[in-house]
Amino acid sequence: MTVPDPLRRETPLYGPFGLFHDPGWGTISFTQFGSIVAASLALGSFVSLIGFLTYLSWPALTQKGVTLITTGVWYYPREKFGALAMIYGTITSASVALILAAPVGILSAIWIAEYAPRWSRLPLKGAVEFLAGVPSIVFGLMGVITLRPVMQEFSGGGDSLMTAALLLAIMILPTLTTLVEDSLQAVPGDLRTQARALGLSREEAIRKVILPGARRGIVAATLLALTRAFGETIAVYLVVGRADNRLPESLLNLQPLIESGQTLTSKLGGSEVPMAYGDPLHMGALASLGLILIVITVFTTFLGQMMMGSPEKGS
Amino acid sequence: MGMSFEKREITTCSSKFVFVLALMAVLGLSRGGSANAGNRVRIQGSTTVNPVVVDAVEVLKASRGLDFSTDTLGGSSGGINAVAQGLVEIGMASREISERDLRKHPDVDFRVTPIAIDAVALVVSAPVWDGGVHALTRDQIRAIFEGKITNWNEVGGADLSIFVYDKEPGRGTREVFEKFAYGSDEPPIPDFAHYAQVGGNEETRSKVQDHDSAISQLSFAWTEGTDKIHALGIRLESGEIVRPDRKAILSNQYPIVRRLNLITDGPPCTNCSVLIDFMKSSEGQDIVKKHGYLPLDSADDGS
Repeated sequence: MTVPDPLRRETPLYGPFGLFHDPGWGTISFTQFGSIVAASLALGSFVSLIGFLTYLSWPALTQKGVTLITTGVWYYPREKFGALAMIYGTITSASVALILAAPVGILSAIWIAEYAPRWSRLPLKGAVEFLAGVPSIVFGLMGVITLRPVMQEFSGGGDSLMTAALLLAIMILPTLTTLVEDSLQAVPGDLRTQARALGLSREEAIRKVILPGARRGIVAATLLALTRAFGETIAVYLVVGRADNRLPESLLNLQPLIESGQTLTSKLGGSEVPMAYGDPLHMGALASLGLILIVITVFTTFLGQMMMGSPEKGS
Repeated sequence: MGMSFEKREITTCSSKFVFVLALMAVLGLSRGGSANAGNRVRIQGSTTVNPVVVDAVEVLKASRGLDFSTDTLGGSSGGINAVAQGLVEIGMASREISERDLRKHPDVDFRVTPIAIDAVALVVSAPVWDGGVHALTRDQIRAIFEGKITNWNEVGGADLSIFVYDKEPGRGTREVFEKFAYGSDEPPIPDFAHYAQVGGNEETRSKVQDHDSAISQLSFAWTEGTDKIHALGIRLESGEIVRPDRKAILSNQYPIVRRLNLITDGPPCTNCSVLIDFMKSSEGQDIVKKHGYLPLDSADDGS
């Protein structure tokens, strides 16, 4: 049973959908009005974004239907619009990036939060947060200059899904670290003391008490990092090779990883959008790539909510 | 006390809100009105044509105070579409208007003005050239760009696996190349390992330069002045090898020659004509030569 919040529930609601709390004088406060306007702006822009993308995609959705996501051949001069190879590229590069970045990010967050000397926390956090704020084009350039030549040893041109994944891993690492560190810090200090008082070693306290306590935050940080990797455009564009129609023969075949590929974002960031002016089907197919990207992101977030489970669990 | 705060009621804030809305509306209107201020001529298209036009535009800006903007979004196809949609006044294309363009924009009256002659060269990284590959037949070129020939030793070169930098579909260079390689047949859709797509000329040139066994299609003028890439000759069916040099291009012996075009929808606007006429003038043609392309009149001499 949830206890009703006296500050919120005592005042009667009125207006459309009971949006307004009547403070008792028949008026709305500035804060309340402003916050409702701001909230509806956020919701409105999301709804209109989806609406507009759907409107743009409509010719492709109706003419191509499910083949948009079930076929892997994209070649606009012959009106072939199958996004599967790009979906594969997006999911593979982002997942590999996360697999590479997550252990490093979580471990370094644990070190900063639990082991690092007090005086070094602030500079460490500062450095990590500074890295998280570096514009992605800078990472992209570093990738072109440093990663491509190294990757040329393994793959034909140096531009590959793996190159993109490595770059993405570096890019999401700071965000991941700082958010995981925040959630470790959010675990009440009392718990640490109590755990130690009960005779747990520092090691055990971290593994048995602090990490489970921060689980929600860690999962949230990981998902945020993953969605960032899904959406990153310019850095990926520079190193992915933009080779269309590359699908593995089986899901376990990792060969395409070290070959050039295409992601949803590298396609959308490329030169095809201006080429599609005046062609509703082509433009629609490109817009549907945007929709697919949003669906993947929303699905990931949803999956994360499920995985996080209830916050009370584990106590 | 809390009461007096709450009582700053809705009239104040709604009037502020209305003011903000009005401000936004005014800003929006004035922006809309000045989207294409004055007589600015907007130009978009091919990265092959762009350097020439950019230089010409600088001259016209300085000498006549005219206002131009140029960009290369979407290459030739992007430029042609932008003209057809009325987004720009002039499109730049390193290819001719195609059947597909006409089908796509049936109501557009494309007017094409050639301003220079160029060729599409097949360029390879230096180690490929040094390994002994100096010319290819049309069949070999097709097989390479389809991923059927994968090692340079299959065409008389060193033992290096071939990496194909293929121009993106829709690029002018790519479409001219397709016409040469496949004629009126439909080219196969690329899908093989060891290929990547490239966009503009700068990107193509630098990626082939950086690689040790790559091939790509590139504007002839962009192959000069560097020894890190080499333009291959083409072995004709007679067995004769034609290299992409000025003489072979002008005499049309080299098989992948093209014109560089400026494109308008209907008769060009006043300032568009100024640019187009300037490009055809001797001063404009000097700019064409400076960038390594062949001037128009030389074509008349050659044919």
